[in-house]
Amino acid sequence: MLLALETSCDETAVALFDPSRGIVEEWIHSQIALHGRYGGVVPDLATREHLRNVVPLLERARERSSAFQGITRVAVTKGPGLAGCLAIGTASAKALALSLGVPLVGVNHLRGHAFSPFIALHAEMPNEFAERFAACLPHLGLIVSGGNTLLFSLGEDRRIRVLSTTRDDAAGEALDKGAKLLGLGYPGGPLIERLAAKGRIDAFDFPRGIGPRSELDFSFSGLKTSLRYLLEKMTPEQIAAAMPDLCASYQQAVVDALVRKTSLALEQGGFRSVGLSGGVANNRTLRAALERTAQRARVSFFAAKPIHTGDNAGMVAFAAWADPAVACVTSGDLRIDPSLELGAV
Amino acid sequence: MSIFAELEAGIVATSAEQTRAVARRLGQALPQNATLALHGNLGVGKTTFVQGLAEGLGIREAVTSPTFNIFTLHRGAGRILVHLDAYRLENAQQVEDLMLDDFLVPPYWLAVEWPEKIAEWLPVDAVHLRLSIVSAGVHRIALERRPGLF
Repeated sequence: MLLALETSCDETAVALFDPSRGIVEEWIHSQIALHGRYGGVVPDLATREHLRNVVPLLERARERSSAFQGITRVAVTKGPGLAGCLAIGTASAKALALSLGVPLVGVNHLRGHAFSPFIALHAEMPNEFAERFAACLPHLGLIVSGGNTLLFSLGEDRRIRVLSTTRDDAAGEALDKGAKLLGLGYPGGPLIERLAAKGRIDAFDFPRGIGPRSELDFSFSGLKTSLRYLLEKMTPEQIAAAMPDLCASYQQAVVDALVRKTSLALEQGGFRSVGLSGGVANNRTLRAALERTAQRARVSFFAAKPIHTGDNAGMVAFAAWADPAVACVTSGDLRIDPSLELGAV
Repeated sequence: MSIFAELEAGIVATSAEQTRAVARRLGQALPQNATLALHGNLGVGKTTFVQGLAEGLGIREAVTSPTFNIFTLHRGAGRILVHLDAYRLENAQQVEDLMLDDFLVPPYWLAVEWPEKIAEWLPVDAVHLRLSIVSAGVHRIALERRPGLF
């Protein structure tokens, strides 16, 4: 059994994963309520919260595993993320691995997201996962979160290759910053989604950040700037009256850009499945649009379960097991990397 | 005219590419271990500016917004560019908690968005730029304060 720890941002999470059963149990302590008051994650508060929460969560894992019996490996997120937060997780994991006398692996958080759409496939029939997973490869994955927007391929050998990334803001960030410009709260994405449900997607014309037709890279900073220009021309009353339409049109611009680039990558060919993961994967408009895209291309669609879209230890445990690139490290050699990229191990 | 003299007068950019071009020239002129404070509101082009700065420093890695992780690291040409977004920081003590010093290894260049949030933490020789929007599509970049060394 594998024990995983995740502390890259504002959630403290621990999971137990058994390759022959799936995720045995996972625990998440969220700090959203705390940071909501500040309009975003405050790094030193987050670090202190991790310090407070990590031991109680490990206590629960200890009870669930009869004093860590059967733990054969400890996995921990080593990046990307907030440096202070990553440091708490890796220090805890090092101590635990040393005390249990088991190997330690450092996991790239983004690779956790990359494999997360397949956690449910594994859980259905753990013993047949290898064959069923192989039937989905090569796989095209889209990771959309507050910090990242990435298209990648997962080859038949389970190797990850980055196909495109954002040139500026991440999709989730475009939604959060859009919400800020609109005077809404935090986290902005879900607030925009709720208001957008009552608005018209074609009420305002926002740029799609598509760039040259043949390019897979994303760009969302122009969208943010165009919203700013638009709002500067409107009175507060006009903005309030048009809020649902503004949210619907703005969100649609983000979704369109994501779907178009994913379609373009699909056309380039050979994929047998499409995956969606990361925090923004919970956006229903995006989920539905991407599922339609997959259906049209006649490939299967896998979206990470809501519990595995945000920061969670379940995906870290799963990637530590499923990703062939993950390797054991000696405790002292595990270093955090706040700017770790998907392509790096 | 040096980029500093031009920036002192204020440079107008009418596209993201022009903003990057100004930043590229500044990147080539900034000495090592310099701190660049980028003042300006949401959407004025601060991240775009840092993209050009990285190019000027010979760093080819893609520079994306640092907002989510507070700071990002970009390496290349034997240099490191640290890109800090101080928006969610309130005081100098919070900067100390970021473990930033672990990554500010000479020769480094530090670009700070929302520098007014951590004014007392910034070195006295920081170069301060103000980015603003004159009208839709027309952005102005001007040197606000510069140390005596140039």
